[in-house]
Amino acid sequence: MGRTIMIIDDSASIRQVVSLALTKAGYEVVEAEDGQDALNKLQNIKVNLIICDVNMPNMDGLTFLKNLKQLSNHKFTPVIMLTTESQQSLKMEGKMAGAKAWMVKPFKPEQMLEAISKLILP
Amino acid sequence: MNDELNAIKQTFINESLDLLEAMERSLLKIENSPEDQETINTLFRSAHTIKGSSGMVGYYEIEKFTHTLENTLSSIRDGKLSINRDIIDLLLECKDYISDMIRVYAIEESVLTEEMRIKGDLLKVKLQNLKDEKKVLEKELKESSEIINIEGIWHISVKFNEDILTYGFDPLSFINYMQKIGEVRYIFVNAQKLPPLEELNHEKCYLSFEIGLYTELGKKAIEDIFEFVIEDVKLRILPPNSKVEEYIKLIEELKTDSEKLGEILVNAEVITKKELEDALEEQRNRKVLKGEEKKIGEIIVEEKMAHQPVVDVALEKQKKILESKQRESKTIKVDSEKLDHLINMVGELVIATAGLNQQSMKIGFKEFLESVSIMTRLVEDIREKAMQLRMVPVGETFSKFQRVVRDICKETGKEIELRITGGDTELDKNVTEKINDPLMHLIRNACDHGIETPDVREKIGKPRKGIVKINAYNDAGSIVIEIIDDGKGIDKEKILQKAISMGLIQDNQQLSEREIFNLIFHPGLSTAEDVTKFSGRGVGMDVVKKGIESLRGIIDIDSKKNIGTTVRIKLPLTLAIIDGFMVSVDDANFIIPLEMVIECLELNGFSREDTNQKKYIDLRGEVLPLIRLRDIFYNNGFLPPIENVVVVKVGQQKIGIVVDKLKGEVQTVIKNMGIFYKNYRHISGATILGDGNVALILDVQYLLNGGLVC
Repeated sequence: MGRTIMIIDDSASIRQVVSLALTKAGYEVVEAEDGQDALNKLQNIKVNLIICDVNMPNMDGLTFLKNLKQLSNHKFTPVIMLTTESQQSLKMEGKMAGAKAWMVKPFKPEQMLEAISKLILP
Repeated sequence: MNDELNAIKQTFINESLDLLEAMERSLLKIENSPEDQETINTLFRSAHTIKGSSGMVGYYEIEKFTHTLENTLSSIRDGKLSINRDIIDLLLECKDYISDMIRVYAIEESVLTEEMRIKGDLLKVKLQNLKDEKKVLEKELKESSEIINIEGIWHISVKFNEDILTYGFDPLSFINYMQKIGEVRYIFVNAQKLPPLEELNHEKCYLSFEIGLYTELGKKAIEDIFEFVIEDVKLRILPPNSKVEEYIKLIEELKTDSEKLGEILVNAEVITKKELEDALEEQRNRKVLKGEEKKIGEIIVEEKMAHQPVVDVALEKQKKILESKQRESKTIKVDSEKLDHLINMVGELVIATAGLNQQSMKIGFKEFLESVSIMTRLVEDIREKAMQLRMVPVGETFSKFQRVVRDICKETGKEIELRITGGDTELDKNVTEKINDPLMHLIRNACDHGIETPDVREKIGKPRKGIVKINAYNDAGSIVIEIIDDGKGIDKEKILQKAISMGLIQDNQQLSEREIFNLIFHPGLSTAEDVTKFSGRGVGMDVVKKGIESLRGIIDIDSKKNIGTTVRIKLPLTLAIIDGFMVSVDDANFIIPLEMVIECLELNGFSREDTNQKKYIDLRGEVLPLIRLRDIFYNNGFLPPIENVVVVKVGQQKIGIVVDKLKGEVQTVIKNMGIFYKNYRHISGATILGDGNVALILDVQYLLNGGLVC
């Protein structure tokens, strides 16, 4: 069965890089511009994994995570947080809110694919 | 590939230029209103995004420069740096420089000229200088603690009792001993207490030491070095930063039921018992001497026994433990019969309130109406709370199936993994009990007929291990349970042939995919060639369907060849009370479960004449089959001038029910009909209305499938 991954980032070029890498690896990709957009889209679709930026307009990554846990059908969807800040406190907050992994930008697509393969079945 | 890269580059250019424009706008706005935090945030975010995306796309020079800019902006955002005209000028210059860089690197695809490079370096230095002005002060403050944060090194500060030498101990020997368990990386001797020479007592120890020790051992082992002088030394052991994550993990995984922060930290070996005692004493001292009320966590951090993040995690843990303790003590076991009784009474209360409501409308006395409406609201709350009392998580039922799957694997030599998700979704206890058997059946079916043997799976390129998933979730007032397998799917042709040979359908009949799958629920229809111990006798699916329907649930099958089968069961959250939609034909009232109702239409004039022959209407381009309740329950009676159509949806099917009047929403307490009426399948139950009249609850599912579409 095809695996669907959602990428949430306010930067279109990052979305494009990530979704290119993911599509090549055989995943379906859904894009969202920020936390609110993602929540709206998740009402109607089910994804297997979410990759999410921290710093975004409208709704930031941590707020999104907290809201995601309220969605019954995505409560257990693993989330990888993307950030350029490797601050301990943010990381902890993310962990508390339920992020499964943490990646610091810039990263190589292979690193990301490896992290994904640890979280969901291919 | 190149096209894709070009496309990404193009996106990057457009996006960055947009962001730079936004930056300029923000900067100009800030110049006029420097206190506008929202604009400062936008500014910061723009730089942040450019930095992130340029790094991802591979323009590392742009990333590096923007990083410096971002740091400055973050100081501004955090209020460490106040904005003035000069800074705005500088920032605008930086913005121009970034757009120059984007032009050179991304659009012209060349490299920076020497001149530009120098300009960039200059700007960077200017940005850093801005920060430094404020930093000087902080740096001085920090200086002393700075040495602590060297990676992988324990920082130990030792203050001996002044009389230690007279007790026969030599401070140096302890430091020497440290070399045996690790490597001493640095020692600072603090000689502040050293008095002038004439006052110096050569038998006293005035020195204290700050030692950096690199070791694999833990805190306890380090403390043990000072075992013999533990009473005469003030010891602080701060773990290296690299340990912080380890501690956090330890605390998170810690199994303890102590709700005391200190004990949690000791159990996770973050601090030693001795340290805890010291901290507690410090806490007491501060209270007595300075009147300070400090929390133990704060003291532990201040005294440099542990890092702030570690203590934060421990605090979180403490909160959780406290919560779970409170929950434990607050649970009361209640006989479920008592509970049923209570819910029955609540049902009666709901009816009585509805009656009161009607009476109050008739009387129309304003204050009276108001009190009644308050009471109605309260009763509704009570109803909801009462219903919640019976809710239990479905996970418990699910986990029983692990064993079933394991047994089937053993018997059949298949490799199957059962995955359970949504186990904490809540469902009425009575429903949970009744759903057990149908689910068991479906799981067995999935394992037995769905999943192929490992060899077959390998041949068609699937992993040897098959997966059966049970997933539960809430969906608009009902609960959905899905059983998903990644097996061979249902063979449509086989079902059709069997159905034809059994005479269920004609061989020229056109059926939709859904209808074909639904044939499975017919008694006697099983496509498995051999009957195994677990399934294949064809008595399964019809029993399953009946079981689900008796719970007012809906079952639905979806299957793709070689990809798998999904069985979806939709159940109402509770059995006893539903939100109903009341309609009437002549003087009889009927209830349709509100969750099924989609819309209501007026049936008049031309379209009405039309339906006498066609038995369907055109609902915005869709064919909507009609059922006339009058045809089922009445043959005569006054035909009203206007009839109404209630559009209902069951599963994926829509149908229109033609009635005389729409009466609106009512709280419906379901009363079962006696066995005397068991052959009247159109009716699933009855309810008593507020005015004492009876209304019949329609079994829409049966109306739909019972071939009664007029």
